[in-house]
Amino acid sequence: MTRILLIEDDTETADAIVSELTERGFEVRWAPDGIGGLDRARESSPDALIVDRMLPGMDGLTVIEALRKDQVRTPVLVLSALGAVDDRVRGLRVGGDDYLTKPFALVELVARVEALLRRPVDSRETTLHAGPLELDLIERRARRGEREIDLLPREFRLLEYMMRRSDQLLTRAMLLEEVWNYKFVPATTNLIDVHMGRLRHKVDGPGEMQLIHNVRGAGFILRVR
Amino acid sequence: MFADKSVGSMRQIEFIRSNTFLWTAAVAAMLALFVAGLFAFIYWKIDDYLIMRSDRMIATQLNFLAELPPGRLNDAISDHLKQDSRGVQYAGLFDAAGTRLAGNIARLPPKLDLGGPVQSIRLARIAPPTLHDPVVKAAGRRLANGHILVMGRNVDETREISIVVGQALLLGLLPAFCLCLLAGVWLSVRAQKRVEQVNRHVQRIVAGDLSERLPQTNTDDPFARLAGIVNAMLDEMETTINALAGVGNDIAHDLRTPLTRVRLALERGRTHAATLENLQDVVDKAIAGIDQSLAIITALLRLAEIESNSRTAGFGDVALDEILRQVCDVYEPIAEDKGIALGVAIDRKAEVRGDPDLLFEAIANLVDNAVKFTPAGGRVTLELASDDETARVCVSDTGPGIGVGEREAVLRRFYRSDKMRNTPGVGLGLSLVAAIVKLHGFRLTIYPGPGGQLEILAPTREATREATASEPGRSLHASLAPM
Repeated sequence: MTRILLIEDDTETADAIVSELTERGFEVRWAPDGIGGLDRARESSPDALIVDRMLPGMDGLTVIEALRKDQVRTPVLVLSALGAVDDRVRGLRVGGDDYLTKPFALVELVARVEALLRRPVDSRETTLHAGPLELDLIERRARRGEREIDLLPREFRLLEYMMRRSDQLLTRAMLLEEVWNYKFVPATTNLIDVHMGRLRHKVDGPGEMQLIHNVRGAGFILRVR
Repeated sequence: MFADKSVGSMRQIEFIRSNTFLWTAAVAAMLALFVAGLFAFIYWKIDDYLIMRSDRMIATQLNFLAELPPGRLNDAISDHLKQDSRGVQYAGLFDAAGTRLAGNIARLPPKLDLGGPVQSIRLARIAPPTLHDPVVKAAGRRLANGHILVMGRNVDETREISIVVGQALLLGLLPAFCLCLLAGVWLSVRAQKRVEQVNRHVQRIVAGDLSERLPQTNTDDPFARLAGIVNAMLDEMETTINALAGVGNDIAHDLRTPLTRVRLALERGRTHAATLENLQDVVDKAIAGIDQSLAIITALLRLAEIESNSRTAGFGDVALDEILRQVCDVYEPIAEDKGIALGVAIDRKAEVRGDPDLLFEAIANLVDNAVKFTPAGGRVTLELASDDETARVCVSDTGPGIGVGEREAVLRRFYRSDKMRNTPGVGLGLSLVAAIVKLHGFRLTIYPGPGGQLEILAPTREATREATASEPGRSLHASLAPM
């Protein structure tokens, strides 16, 4: 069972996170302050950490720094009410792997934790495979089975990102940050949906099994299993 | 009573320690030193001059008497001594053996250099007798008949001069010194009084009375000018604070609208939802309302972040053509879905100094707005025209445009045109663009219709380089084109 350590001082937030993650099959431990959390992280070596940035005793970033100094490579998701770009950069610089600004949706949190646990295969392969999909990174060509898919560069980038994370929920925020490199929330809220709609139209041809799924209120999945 | 006394003595110490007083005391001391130095110099000069003159007179008299025929010499000496009412003159005639023949000098001084220049020497006087033989200036000469003629003069009178000078110094300097100190006390007390007066007014401002101002006289002294400067600053701050309070009200109002919807939905859902599906509908509505409120807060925080960000150290060279292409790439499908043609026209590459993410955000916001407000069948054009000096990014559309009366308002936070009341969005888009443009020192221009047309004018990288060499930065900000 995947073990997750949550270091968060707000009891209600912690309760909600623990319940949600437990329901999704994770084993969650909770530490309400930085020092206790650091001890717990050292002795129990969890698979992933969720660390609130502002904690009593020792702040979250210091906890992460201490762990990284001990050569602990456990993936860390930083939670913070500080959402400015600079805050985010600082959070990632000390060793956080992802940064989620409060308030967040629980699906977003779960999606990001799962993404952290299943780091994309950073293969040197020049061809990606996901189910019937095949992506040639050098020739910039995409195929579904025998069918050639004609993709625009931006669609290619999106599909590549999704194939590296197949069967994984990708939220709109994740896609905006990772694929489009957005540092802000666009005014047009359905930006991603429109792009995804285009891609889906090309990937899932008529009569073919649907690969790109829209998860209501959450995001998208490239489902190949 | 006691309290008063202690306050009084504290005040005394305070004014003695006050800078003004210390400075005047230092000035007074400097003045005293300077005057004393001046007097010493004058004394020294006068003394020098008097001695030199007396030396010359001695030499002249000696020469004159030596030229006289020997028979008339004795009479001449006694005449000379008779005329000397102050008793400072010395004259003596001695024979070759040193025996006194005439004059008032008792003995021929053995150390006298005959025929030499005037020298200081101790001379004994016969009448009137003195307690000690004074040191006088004297010269001697051997005459043709072998006699020795000695002439001298007591220069002790210079000491009298020094006493006179000293008295004059005391008389002049003491009152001047006292006057200086008094002036110091007066100035420092006056300064302290004014500081206290200013402090009283400032305390009132600190206590929250923003309309309070410092007392301002019409004189041209530094205090009055300082008061003027501070008052101008207070005016500015009062305006800003009032404006901020207005923005605060706007925010509260804009948050209230979605939150009211959430509240109503939840309340009704709680009593009326019959099935789980009903309840889920209600909750979905509530979440949407809360998300909208959060979007407003996020946008506001972002705006504050950009507006407060004065650090431009992270600026680099940004290829505007790249940014335009990226924005177009993102918005092309959205425009297409709405039946709007989105075109990008780049006449040549242009690089400016800035933050690529922020510039992307600004241009994306402009395009977002244009696409949102242009009806189907319309057209949005993203244009980059540049020369060596300036790069011009222009976003134009065939939408309703921004009315003359609205052009200033759209830059304000939360402003949404009446026509757009029902269009989703937070209404902070253009404020964000304006903030980003201001941070970069670029210029945002809103052109009058028909159609919407907004323009960002930026100095190119080459122009910036030249400008930083000659003038420190340009300050351009939002402006309105002439009608």
